[in-house]
Amino acid sequence: MRFDTFVRHAVRAQFRGLPPADEFVRHALDAGVGSIALLTLLTIFAGMNLSVQAYGTFARFGGQEMLGLFCGVGGIRELYPVMAAVVCGARIGATLAASLANMQISEQVEALEVMGIDPMRRLIAPRLWAVTLMLPLLCAYANVVGICASYFAAVHQMGINEGVFISQVKEIVHLPDLFAGVVKGVIFGWLVAIVACYHGYRAAKRDGAEGVGIATNRAIVHAAVLCIVLNMFLSALMYA
Amino acid sequence: MRPLLRALETLGAIAVYLFAIVRSLFTGPRYVGETLRVSEILIRRCLIPVGLAVAPVGAVIALQGVHIFRSFGAEELLSSLLATAVFREYSPALASVMVAAQAGSSIAARIGTMRVRGQIDALAVMSVDPIRYVVLPGLIACAVVTPLLNVLTTLLGLFSGWVFAVVLVGCDHGSFMANLYSQVSLVDLYVGLSKCLVFGTAVGLIAGYLGLQTTGGAAGVGKAANNTVTYTIVLILVCDYLASMLLLSLGL
Amino acid sequence: MPEGSLYRMAAADINAAVVFEKVSKSFGSHVVLNEVSLLIPKGAIMVMLGPSGTGKSVLLRCLVGLIKPDSGRILVFNEDLTRLDDQRSADRHKLFALRRRFGMLFQDGALFDDMSVGDNVAFPMRQHTKMSEPEIRARVAENLERVGLPGTERKMVSELSGGMRKRAAFARAIALRPDIVLCDEPSSGLDPVMSATLDDLILELHRTLGMTFIVISHDTAEARAIATHIGLLYQGKLQVFGEAHTVLQSSHAHVRQFFERNTQGPIKVL
Repeated sequence: MRFDTFVRHAVRAQFRGLPPADEFVRHALDAGVGSIALLTLLTIFAGMNLSVQAYGTFARFGGQEMLGLFCGVGGIRELYPVMAAVVCGARIGATLAASLANMQISEQVEALEVMGIDPMRRLIAPRLWAVTLMLPLLCAYANVVGICASYFAAVHQMGINEGVFISQVKEIVHLPDLFAGVVKGVIFGWLVAIVACYHGYRAAKRDGAEGVGIATNRAIVHAAVLCIVLNMFLSALMYA
Repeated sequence: MRPLLRALETLGAIAVYLFAIVRSLFTGPRYVGETLRVSEILIRRCLIPVGLAVAPVGAVIALQGVHIFRSFGAEELLSSLLATAVFREYSPALASVMVAAQAGSSIAARIGTMRVRGQIDALAVMSVDPIRYVVLPGLIACAVVTPLLNVLTTLLGLFSGWVFAVVLVGCDHGSFMANLYSQVSLVDLYVGLSKCLVFGTAVGLIAGYLGLQTTGGAAGVGKAANNTVTYTIVLILVCDYLASMLLLSLGL
Repeated sequence: MPEGSLYRMAAADINAAVVFEKVSKSFGSHVVLNEVSLLIPKGAIMVMLGPSGTGKSVLLRCLVGLIKPDSGRILVFNEDLTRLDDQRSADRHKLFALRRRFGMLFQDGALFDDMSVGDNVAFPMRQHTKMSEPEIRARVAENLERVGLPGTERKMVSELSGGMRKRAAFARAIALRPDIVLCDEPSSGLDPVMSATLDDLILELHRTLGMTFIVISHDTAEARAIATHIGLLYQGKLQVFGEAHTVLQSSHAHVRQFFERNTQGPIKVL
């Protein structure tokens, strides 16, 4: 099936009625709760790293006091949403692609069709909804954890004045920025899910175990590249 | 007690694996042809995703940087910031993450497929060491290709930053170029390349280990590919932070 | 047997469960089904034999509308399946409604491996009927008992052996009491005792529930044991089709070679 046909069918299935609740809840929990630990760990390190690196870089210009500005802009507007999308995209997308590919090669998808159940509505729609709704939450969460980690590193490790850092973050980050992060999350979430579902769904019985590997690999790479490239356009649209 | 034992067991398996890798690095037989073949595939497969992932970052740094620096009237500092950020941080980290996503997951999936289909055992029965024949070529390829890709992505990152700043926003080309290398030194280049060497090796090691450990048929293959990427990204970000701290305390 | 006459006979025969009329299908230049015509009466156990890769699977998938034939007609209870376009929603509903009269046993079971055995068997009932939960549970228990797996509701699919998986899949296939049960290579990958058990199961279900069975297989012993009708497919052509005893006694070269496990004959090994 070609990608555009798949998207058309998937979108039609997504907006025709509520998705099956059991599948939706399972995938939403897996996408959301299942990613929290990983995301927390990664954002803490990325956030602290952002402070440390920015400190090193700005020290060369003698502009250490601008750290708050940089962490606010670089972190909240750009790094954390993209990171949440790429990392969770890799984890969630790979899981989705692998499970769907596995269902294809063991004929479980055909079994559904023979039972008179539309696989698009049963399998694809709940996955799309689950990831589209969960990723913005994860992006928002990453923002909070990340800025806290940046703050910790800046104030406690680099010795930046607490008040200056906070006031700079407040000065540069406004409510629309946080909202923009959530919007990015929705878009990235849907994108990750549709790409992963496509690659998983496209596997065929004769591909065997190899097909699962290929689907997983493509889901991860395509989702990551798409999110990063799209982020550039979204940022250009929102901030330039 | 049980989880502790299992953790020890895993540690033991990892130690045995690492020992086998090190031993096969220094003793023959070597599969040079296989290594070259894998490297070539790897370069061809990674070039586009890595390029596509790194290029936008240069533009985004320029985009957000212009904002900040303009408000201070220090627009000429933009290219210095761009160069330091790209050379030392974003190019190596992103190139490694994308190598993990593309090469790591496909190596793990390939080895995992061989494992669940019994081809790894078949190699062993034919007296071909799977570590030497299957794991090591991938490992060496990752270790060599990641720094190579990094050179390319660094240039690409700077170029996309230039395109955004000079062509689209209208910063001055002369001052952009003049300040580009004012704050970067060879140290930054070495830091970037050695990061890539370490991360690339880590990708190859983790992919090989998880691939060989694959169980549970087709679903297991997906899990191996998936875990390879997750673990390597964690490793990359943690190491990146530690490296930044180290370099800062060394004053580099 | 001239193929046209078969169909004319079928049109009048209200006892037909399935009629294939000159069904052809090719993938690219590879012809998988070449003008296949056959009639399967209600209540038959039809075993379609043939070497691997001769389009038996495609035949089965055409029958449930998973694959659309290039030409020809397929009548299921006098409804023309090939005229339903699964891109149009009205036709799609009809197709899905028609599919509910089928149960299908897949080669490796195709059980949903994220559900327990009980949930797998209950799945079609939960999706398509308004049965209450206790009713469903009773029916699940009954079906699992029929296939010889009583009390396995809570087991996960990964805990089952190959033979148990197929029997659990059987329980799912007959959950809605379909009119036609399709079996894709039921004996493949099973030991002879387990295959015989599965054959007995088919006969037992046929006797007690009166369903029509369409079985594709390359196991001649299975055909001898259960078939009321036998077909032999080779290179996309239906070489022989008829009642079991006549086919078994026929001197048709393909049939003799296949049943006598002979390397010499019209069937060539690639």
